[in-house]
Amino acid sequence: MTAVTAATGRTTVDELARRATTEPPPRPKARAGPLEWILVHIAFLVVVAFFLVPFLWLLSAAFDAKASAYIQFPVEPTIMNFVKIFTEHDFARVLANSVFVAVATMILVVFTVSLAGYSLSRLDLRRKDWITYAVLLLQTMPISATMVPIYGLARQLGLRNSYLGLILIHAAIELPFLIWLMKGFFDSIPRHLEEAAWLDGRSKFRALIEIVLPLARPGLGIAAGLAFLSAWAEVLMVIILIDQDNLKTVPLAFYEAMRTQGGYTEVQYGVIAAMAVIYLLPVMVVFFAARRLMVRGLMSSTRGL
Amino acid sequence: MAVAARGRLGRNRLYLAGLSPAAFLLALFFVGPALWAIGSSFTNRALVGLDAANPRFVGLDNYARLFSDPDFGRVILNSVIFVIGSAIIGQFVLGLLLALLLDYAQRRGFLATSLVYAAVLLAWVNPTIIAGFLWVAMFDFYNGSLNAGLHVVGAPPVNWLGQGPMLAVIIANTWRGTAFTMLIFLGALRTIPSDIYEAARVDGASAFRRFWDHTLPILRPIAALTLLSVTMATFGTFILIQTLTNGGPAFQTEVIALYAFHEAFQNHAVGYGSTISVVMLALNLAFAVVFLRWSRARA
Amino acid sequence: MDEVVRQIITRRRFLQLSAVSAVAVACSPSAVSSPSSAGSAPAGSSPAGGSGGAPSGGAVTGTINVSYPDEAGLKPKYVEQAAAAVKAQFPGADVKIDLQKVGDDDFYTKLLLALDSGTGPDVFHVGGSSIGELADASYVEPLDNYVSQWADWSQYPDSVRTGVTYKGSVWAIPYGLDMRWLYYRKDDLQKAGLAADWQPANVQGILDAATAVKNANETNVIPYALYAGPAGSSGTADHAFVPLLWAYGGELQDSSGKWIGDSPATKKVMAYYQKAYNGLSPKEILTSTKPWTAMREKLGNGQLALLFEGGWVYGGWASANKAATEQNVGYVLHPTENGGPSFTVGGPGTCWYISSRSTNKQGAWEFIKAMNTAEIVGKLNAEDPHPVARTDAADIPEFKSDPYLVASTAALAKAKFTAPDPGYSKVIEAIQKATARVAAGELGPDDAAKRYTDDLTQALGADKVTSQ
Repeated sequence: MTAVTAATGRTTVDELARRATTEPPPRPKARAGPLEWILVHIAFLVVVAFFLVPFLWLLSAAFDAKASAYIQFPVEPTIMNFVKIFTEHDFARVLANSVFVAVATMILVVFTVSLAGYSLSRLDLRRKDWITYAVLLLQTMPISATMVPIYGLARQLGLRNSYLGLILIHAAIELPFLIWLMKGFFDSIPRHLEEAAWLDGRSKFRALIEIVLPLARPGLGIAAGLAFLSAWAEVLMVIILIDQDNLKTVPLAFYEAMRTQGGYTEVQYGVIAAMAVIYLLPVMVVFFAARRLMVRGLMSSTRGL
Repeated sequence: MAVAARGRLGRNRLYLAGLSPAAFLLALFFVGPALWAIGSSFTNRALVGLDAANPRFVGLDNYARLFSDPDFGRVILNSVIFVIGSAIIGQFVLGLLLALLLDYAQRRGFLATSLVYAAVLLAWVNPTIIAGFLWVAMFDFYNGSLNAGLHVVGAPPVNWLGQGPMLAVIIANTWRGTAFTMLIFLGALRTIPSDIYEAARVDGASAFRRFWDHTLPILRPIAALTLLSVTMATFGTFILIQTLTNGGPAFQTEVIALYAFHEAFQNHAVGYGSTISVVMLALNLAFAVVFLRWSRARA
Repeated sequence: MDEVVRQIITRRRFLQLSAVSAVAVACSPSAVSSPSSAGSAPAGSSPAGGSGGAPSGGAVTGTINVSYPDEAGLKPKYVEQAAAAVKAQFPGADVKIDLQKVGDDDFYTKLLLALDSGTGPDVFHVGGSSIGELADASYVEPLDNYVSQWADWSQYPDSVRTGVTYKGSVWAIPYGLDMRWLYYRKDDLQKAGLAADWQPANVQGILDAATAVKNANETNVIPYALYAGPAGSSGTADHAFVPLLWAYGGELQDSSGKWIGDSPATKKVMAYYQKAYNGLSPKEILTSTKPWTAMREKLGNGQLALLFEGGWVYGGWASANKAATEQNVGYVLHPTENGGPSFTVGGPGTCWYISSRSTNKQGAWEFIKAMNTAEIVGKLNAEDPHPVARTDAADIPEFKSDPYLVASTAALAKAKFTAPDPGYSKVIEAIQKATARVAAGELGPDDAAKRYTDDLTQALGADKVTSQ
């Protein structure tokens, strides 16, 4: 029981979500019968095969100098692919750009979204629902429609070919969903906690930072994780914003590698696979670190309006 | 009373201020471009040619052209098939089944559950462009892994992308997105303490009864919203399809998002591309509004 | 927030004001005679007649932005050589080279976005077939005043000049002309029982040879590659549909300039497609991202037997393995319905343009001149084999001594050209859709031909389309 539940006597969604992510202790019951064991493991095998086989290929291709499109035990095992991407393809620069942009976007998003989510949650207007709906429905805008006007807009504002442009636009894309997510989290934190702090003489801002935000930490964690992942993966906006080689991010390098295919030669699967493996590492780190948080976040977000 | 009202107004002002950074970004990069796109759908704006020098307001001409275009019917049909196949049958049902399987396995103490869980999630968190790359390699006719597997068992190679393009993109997209629904359902399932199942079992309830009486009621509330999320997300996919088939041989996998992109960026007809996007936006909105009303009515 | 919005509005207003004043300055008499002034030419200049600045031959200063795509890696050293020449001749000038290692289509789209929003490079490098649409969009500067004062222009034959003329003006400088061959693998065809110096007796002969290769069951050999669908890009038209149409006696436009949809020749072309995609040409062409890359490579290493493609592709194979290519790759002209090889598809190739929005048009022109000296044109087209646009470039030893280059240049005399009509890019879209339907087996030849008329009408409007 969290302090909140103890204080209010109600189980918050967050509490439910926390319960949902802690694995129930294994029951000391009769061992599963052999038939059951086989069936379950067959099902497991099928599922794992379906979901992991593509990655198996990726690994085998990344370590193979003569990689091709099918899974093979590396014909010519090598780590040269990984070396090549840094020496011949300037991958270090591209990777650094991606890291910088994703981290900066994450910070900007967390700041903006926690402020907006809190404000939206505490806002006391009759038509508040309309605002919430509007924010949510912004997500229905198809991105291919906004690409051309964003090009013109970014050019006029001098945001093309700049880190600032990338960060601002990557952040903007994630806002609708994450604002809604954070609003849900803040909704589940009862107001009387900060109201008590106000009566105590603290300013609203301090109350927010000292009392409310710590309680919303799981939500912030999710928002940060999702913001990072989305900025890490964004490609369409990068196409629109970046022409210069030294500002490219990994998704753009990938997109071009697949569409360019090196002039007269075919796709260099090994090299691109090596890029993909390195590109995937932060994703896996973020995901494994935050997996429980993510479930809680997703559960809360589909709680309904 | 007056003091409280003033306080409320003052607080509201503060809250509106708190919303302003987000509002600014959204207005600039969402609302502004959206309005521009809607506006340009009424023009014949193009990136090159006479229409680039003199874009004209053409009223509803673009819309008339779109609705009389025989290919547009095909595009809508493709989109519907894709959404039904990948979102509803694929991600939703598969996610539900996986959640049930994993929940069951976990309660029974199967240790491999975590591995399966991780595998499904890995497919979801990796960036779309990687997913596209992986599946291009899988489906490749000459050297792809799937055909290599068929070769091993002596079956003839299948031209996945050439002859079964819709199926191929549905499979790839399902692979990609199932984790989302699985996570949500799994989360809901885990809130049910095992004691309830145990008690029901002791009472003599069959597996089906246990599911119907105890599991389903927990799943029902979130199922609706999950279905909506997945449907809307799938409706907007296009990078994956572009990478795999780019609209498929002869328009067979040209979904509406891709159609809009092609018209704007391949055929350089920005006005017409915006028209398609506006139609897509309208469909999205209509669907979302209807769905939300319906799920709120039920809740 | 209000403050920032206000600032943005002010900035936009400022840009508008400066654009208006630039137009005013440019329209004033003093600007016309001094092209190196800062004002840019009015964006709405009409295509007919040279309204650009007259070249004064004075010193060139400032930055010249040059942008071009290159994947094969052959052009950069010549571009740098030309840039160095310009900088040596004009110490006050600087040349900034923007090499984009992307495909031509992607480069073109990005370029259009830049031009559309009012920016873009001073000099760019895209296909000559885009002249019509670029001129209509007022994106490019007419070059009449420049070429009339350029001595080297006399080296460009009339046929070449016509290829870059639209509405009475010259819009771009070509250097390597396009022509195409029907390539065949001598080794694969011999294994299928055909002669080493095979020639198709007529168009059907291509299919017969492909069928022979297929029946010979050679491992890993694709009989034939015929481009279809949007995936083939412009190749679907220029390397597949158009030569076939001409082979069957059809035309793209009738005498009044209307585009021809359904016609007896069109039906025959569709029937040809149906036969080709019935086991001879791979369906992957329809879904690959850039199918020509794979198909070109496969012909080069013997995994594809028959391919109608650009003459320049031969250079890629020769540079990888000259001896093997000369031994195994044969090339002939395109046959007709009833006759053997007799024609090819010609084109102005990729050309150099000056942007109408450029603020340094004189500098841009100096760069183009430096890039198109006889020496550079000759050497570049010897490495990336194209017939040269200026006749003196063919006199350099590298050119004269290569039998392939000599043959390609001679073949140009038998080339038929597509008209530089801005509507052509829309026609290509319609061709892509129509061929995709037949290739994928969705429609039969006659229905596909009828739908082709519909596609053309959709794209261009009913008043520009006719059927026979």
